[in-house]
Amino acid sequence: MTAIYGLYATPNSAQRAFDKLRAAGISEKEIVVMSSEPLEEYAFGSRDRQTIMPWIAVLGAATGLAVAYLLTSLTQRAWAINTGGMPIVSNYTNLIIMFELTMLGAVFATVLTLMKTARLPGRLPKFYDPEISRGKILVGVGRVDGSRVASVEAAFQSTGVETIKTVQ
Amino acid sequence: MAVDLDRCTGCEACVVACHAENNIPTVGPTEAARGRAMHWIRVERYWEGEFPDVQLKFKPVMCQHCDEAPCEPVCPTYASSHTSEGLNAQIYNRCIGTRYCANACSYNVRFFNFSSPVWDKPLHLQLNPDVSAREMGVMEKCTFCIQRINTGKIEAKAAGEPLKDGDIKPACVQSCTANALVFGDLNDPDSHVSQLSRSPRGSKLLEELGTKPKVTYLQRESWDERSEYEPDRAKSSTK
Amino acid sequence: MNPETDNRLADDLLRPVLHTSRGFYIAVALFSSIVLCGAATWGYQIYYGIGVTGYNWPVFWAFHETNFVFWIGISHAGTLISAILRIVNATWRRPVTRCAEVITAFALMIGAMFPLIHLGRPWLAWWLIPYPSERGLWPNYRSPLVWDFFAINTYLTASLLFLILPALPDFALIRDRTTGWRKRVYSILSMGWHGTPKQWHRLESAMHIMALAIIPIAVSVHTIVSFDFSMALVPMWHSTIFGPYFVAGAIFSGIAALIIVMALLRKLLHLEAYLLPLHFQNLGKLMLTMSLLWGYFVFNERLTIWYGNSPHEMTVFWSTQTGKYAPLFWTMVLCNFVIPFPLLTIKRLRSITATVIASCGVVVGMWLERFLIIVPSLSRKAASFSWGSYTPRWPEIVIMVASFAGMALLYLLFSKLMPIISIWELKVGQHPQIKSAAKVQDAEAAGELV
Repeated sequence: MTAIYGLYATPNSAQRAFDKLRAAGISEKEIVVMSSEPLEEYAFGSRDRQTIMPWIAVLGAATGLAVAYLLTSLTQRAWAINTGGMPIVSNYTNLIIMFELTMLGAVFATVLTLMKTARLPGRLPKFYDPEISRGKILVGVGRVDGSRVASVEAAFQSTGVETIKTVQ
Repeated sequence: MAVDLDRCTGCEACVVACHAENNIPTVGPTEAARGRAMHWIRVERYWEGEFPDVQLKFKPVMCQHCDEAPCEPVCPTYASSHTSEGLNAQIYNRCIGTRYCANACSYNVRFFNFSSPVWDKPLHLQLNPDVSAREMGVMEKCTFCIQRINTGKIEAKAAGEPLKDGDIKPACVQSCTANALVFGDLNDPDSHVSQLSRSPRGSKLLEELGTKPKVTYLQRESWDERSEYEPDRAKSSTK
Repeated sequence: MNPETDNRLADDLLRPVLHTSRGFYIAVALFSSIVLCGAATWGYQIYYGIGVTGYNWPVFWAFHETNFVFWIGISHAGTLISAILRIVNATWRRPVTRCAEVITAFALMIGAMFPLIHLGRPWLAWWLIPYPSERGLWPNYRSPLVWDFFAINTYLTASLLFLILPALPDFALIRDRTTGWRKRVYSILSMGWHGTPKQWHRLESAMHIMALAIIPIAVSVHTIVSFDFSMALVPMWHSTIFGPYFVAGAIFSGIAALIIVMALLRKLLHLEAYLLPLHFQNLGKLMLTMSLLWGYFVFNERLTIWYGNSPHEMTVFWSTQTGKYAPLFWTMVLCNFVIPFPLLTIKRLRSITATVIASCGVVVGMWLERFLIIVPSLSRKAASFSWGSYTPRWPEIVIMVASFAGMALLYLLFSKLMPIISIWELKVGQHPQIKSAAKVQDAEAAGELV
């Protein structure tokens, strides 16, 4: 199984390559795109938009709130110390701790979700090309069996590709 | 506790006795000039009037052991807390020296160990073994001689007799030449201090702040309150 | 998107990271030595006790606490620029966000040192961490200092993440353009970032959520810092206005710090093409708004006190208006309001130099403001016999200077770690497909459309 990819100088040509590859029968899932900046205005760059990250952040916030409530009320009850006549479980002041841990929960949940869904930390895919950091957009197909190599290469050639590379 | 301002002569025997009993370091003249003197009980001196009709009034001030002490909720490590008997306890081992309690105290009766306490020989022989010496960086204040309270309770229990009013005397009460200081159990309505706390001569310091201090100050006529707010009229003694 | 300009952009912004001048080494050496002096002074203070400073009875809080509030205040720069401007889609913010976020992260770290520095027994500071101790004792959640601990740690964590996450694509950029040890280091730092649309979407979602979260966190942090004062029954501390007053003051000083840092970066790293007069103009306008807001809060607070005429509070009030602290008070008003007002209001005067001058004044003025909140009140509390005064001695001054040197040092070292202007965010700003005419104007004015 080989991987073939092409490097493009502009997003427009990358988009054409993407369309040509789709026309050649490659499914969306098999096409890989990599770039040095988000290109959401183009169809190829707006895939995989759906995410439940905000909801997970809310879940994280709720967890933080629960943890804070338990932390403050249980420990205050465990050893009841009178300070200035304030209630032993002083909820008015505990609200502050609850607020902070709620926000921290939301932040942690967001970051963990990001790391999991973006697969960070991870290995670079086998056909990553440092030219991406020089502004090139990489459009490639990860697994091409022998019969389709020709059509994939043709798709690249006809869309003004700068370089085609093959990785075994 | 009750303090009878009409009896106080300003002799400051209470201050000295407190230092001796509680192992309070004498900071020395340089440090005292910098404002680091640690007098758990201090005698405030107020001048009133113009010469030759000058009046001098004395007011011993120590920790008021407030029922709603502002110093207690602010301590992050529970070093300042309220005991079940109603005392404000300062637990030296818990103190990390944030000094927030001292700022919150409206009476300025809390003191900080700015440096390691030193007792030049042979004064170290005079230290009271019943009271722990405090490390540098720790807050301290009047405890109503808790070591004497505990000793009194233990001795009464050992003897099998109940504590009587007047059995326990903090060092300042014991040493007062004019019997101006009275200490006892405020929960017992018949004790001397309870009776004094109900006296028409009695008032509390900074009562309007709502700290509910336990020390009753007795005086025949209320002092000219303006002297409290105008520093020119209330020329205080050196700290 | 023009590959040529993009590459020039990346080259310009990577140059400070990849090439080091002699001036850099000299600056690092200078600031490091000052920081070392500060560290040694702190060690001296720990060994001999807080008594080596000017602290006394009853002024138990002074320089260290002033610096604490000051640095936490400076840290609000990043939140305003990065988070708030991100959410309202102000495109001119793009070159400025990372500078601001860096200020936030480092100012927080430095600010968080001061609660440790002011402690009498700092080796026990870990007791503030809530853990099941063998003594069975937990922190006192009723204490504002414990609230500080939670708030500052939350803000620091969130700010660091907010700084590092959008840096991943730039780390990847450096990884791809370097060789040798740099490539190895940045391979680890970039965590395998390879720029698929999915990764971009997730990153932007995360940034959006974090921007929304970090704003209430920042507001709460400085409010909680203000609670250190307003919860105590000290005259002129026990005021309900302290929360918003401190937050406004924090944003005010944060913007001033940001302007100064930006001006220095522009000069030293030759970023004239990226940090434009427009940025200084916009920040200058924001700073003017905050100056007016600050003035509003000060007027509010002082009028209420003066009108109420409560004796305890009036003593402190007069000591700042006409008494011992009057020179500092009026200098503060001059620095925070009188000087910035004309410089920032009159368009002809609002040049980069003028905004920097105004900002320097604001930084000084806001430091004085923190000092004037703490010390006059403590020296004139309700119990008049025990009034006192405060004069700083050399340890707290050295530690204060070292904190500024520490900020400069951290910033210098950071400029070697990653580009000080976010490369990918700047490239995004140059995209031709911009939806509205207003955005096109913005982009053209900001020089983002080539």
